[in-house]
Amino acid sequence: MKSTKYSEKVLDHFRNPRNVGTLEGDDVASGVVGNPTCGDIMEVFIKVKDDRIVDAKFRTFGCASAIATSSMTTEMVKGMTLDEAMKVKRDDVAGELDGLPPIKLHCSNLAADALHEAIESYRRKESGEVDESECDDIAQTEHIVSKTEFENNGLYRAIGDPTVFDDQRTLVIYTGEPSIKAAIKLTDHTDRVILLTCDKDIKMPDDLNTLLSNVGVKILYQSKLLEIRGDFEVERALIKNLDEDEEYELFIDAIVILA
Amino acid sequence: MNTSRPEIYLDYQSSKPVDPRVLDEMIPFFTEKFGNPSALHKVGDIATDALEESRREIAKFINADDDEIVFTSGATESNNFALLGYMLKNKRKGNHVIISEVEHISILNIAKYLQMQGFNVTRVPVDRYGRVSIKKLERRITDQTILISIGYASNEIGTIQPVAEIGKLARERGIKFHTDAVAAEGAVDLDVKRDNIDLMSLSSNDIYGPRGLGVLYIKKGARPNPVIQGGGQEKGLRSGTENMPAIVGMQAAARIMKKEMKSEVKRFRGWRDRMIKQILEEIPDSYLNGHPQGRLASNAHFRFDGIEGESILISFKDEGISVSTGSACSSKTLEPSHTLIATGLLHEEAHGSLQFTVGRFNEDSDIDRALEVVPKVVNRLRKLSPIYKARK
Repeated sequence: MKSTKYSEKVLDHFRNPRNVGTLEGDDVASGVVGNPTCGDIMEVFIKVKDDRIVDAKFRTFGCASAIATSSMTTEMVKGMTLDEAMKVKRDDVAGELDGLPPIKLHCSNLAADALHEAIESYRRKESGEVDESECDDIAQTEHIVSKTEFENNGLYRAIGDPTVFDDQRTLVIYTGEPSIKAAIKLTDHTDRVILLTCDKDIKMPDDLNTLLSNVGVKILYQSKLLEIRGDFEVERALIKNLDEDEEYELFIDAIVILA
Repeated sequence: MNTSRPEIYLDYQSSKPVDPRVLDEMIPFFTEKFGNPSALHKVGDIATDALEESRREIAKFINADDDEIVFTSGATESNNFALLGYMLKNKRKGNHVIISEVEHISILNIAKYLQMQGFNVTRVPVDRYGRVSIKKLERRITDQTILISIGYASNEIGTIQPVAEIGKLARERGIKFHTDAVAAEGAVDLDVKRDNIDLMSLSSNDIYGPRGLGVLYIKKGARPNPVIQGGGQEKGLRSGTENMPAIVGMQAAARIMKKEMKSEVKRFRGWRDRMIKQILEEIPDSYLNGHPQGRLASNAHFRFDGIEGESILISFKDEGISVSTGSACSSKTLEPSHTLIATGLLHEEAHGSLQFTVGRFNEDSDIDRALEVVPKVVNRLRKLSPIYKARK
């Protein structure tokens, strides 16, 4: 079956998705699931009253079936108790949509998982648990696998002559505010600068934050540089997505790890 | 969905219609001129004459000699034939072949097969525009390197490789140079002598000829072993009774292309440049994939932050426009395009791509319509996206 051969119901939910948006408030919880490799990210919000889902919304990055399954999931669970909603499975969602092309049954059908994550997050919140992130970018840099021949041959510990970075795809490892400033400075020389951090967020002054997004630095959150690869010089970075526990290679020309 | 409007086709890289003039020349070879060129009677002679005339015409198209043209079943076979055949024939001279990270899948997969058979394969990386660096290529040459295979231009992002420089380097180092020229056919003036090309793959459909036919240009002295074995047609290099209607069709397609290419390319370039300018100006956080100047005149390839290509494609389908994407969701493997990844894009970025390829039967109004639809589709999908944040 062709991967885009969708049922009319899928197409309807893709063309006219129900419940698009976000929710806010103390009685709201959300869950995000995603698979960067096959390219779908789904975010589901639930509003809960007396253990019952009174409203649900979603936002989805992904293919038509990812959008349709998210839309259908939010439709299905409105009015359900949390226990009932926990029992809604991917297959139920696919069934309500008159089926999905076989290849789309996994990646593009994660909305039920996002829903379950939202419910679990709501329950944790009710019981007063707080999510603690454990992540130390500077400590991480100790464990990067590299070769000595890469030093100053694509791998830089300081921004000396910035023209070295002209037109180079550059990965900057977050190690505090100087690394943010370095990333911003490099955008004068190349329009491809990626800042990598193991955290979900980088705390920085507002003006720096605005500047960073205005100059177009791409930020990779929840990521860890495992290994620098290349023949003779830096060519690829092996990166681990900590959220999804997946590794992938990124083609680059330069890496900056400020000492 | 609007069904009254005819479908607008902006996916010429994936398939082209046969030019009606080509079809006219083919038809007699299905019926009255049905002969087998190997037969010695008059009916066979008619076929032989057409076969040799076709070979001459196609040789002219790439500035080759007649006897350097071998007909195959298509570019996939030509690519397999070139790599497998050449490496097997010359394995005593060396066991190393260099390809690039942005090759067509038919090169990547036959290279993997060669690796399984004990040959060494190196993939040279490309820059952010998808261009092979000569310096990086040169560093990878060893005394075992006997073949370099680098595609003339990318069928995805349209970037044209520095083919003449690669040809020169290969010649200086005594290495044979194969190029898969399919994406460049009809967009670039192909000249195997000027560019020092030893082996070149061509496809009939990419110049508006029928499918099921390709060519491998084989320079004298760069002979591969045959891969398809049988009755010894094509001087023993490619057995199987010649597909005469298709061969005559490719001949007609090459002749027409040679004549019309210049004005056609000029028209394409106008459309391409208009699309690139308008989309990059009108849509925030949109980017051009591939080289800004050194690209095929027919190719405009974009990516949009925060949205996914299959959703874009289905939305265009709803608007009656056929386009293509490098997104994983539309592929059989759920892997994003290896070409986009090789240019340094993250997976989520590679997923947000949209490819327009124009061709002979497009009109100005097709481009107008596509440009009208792009912002509509991008804005709608971005509203659904959890990862799109507009820059302030």
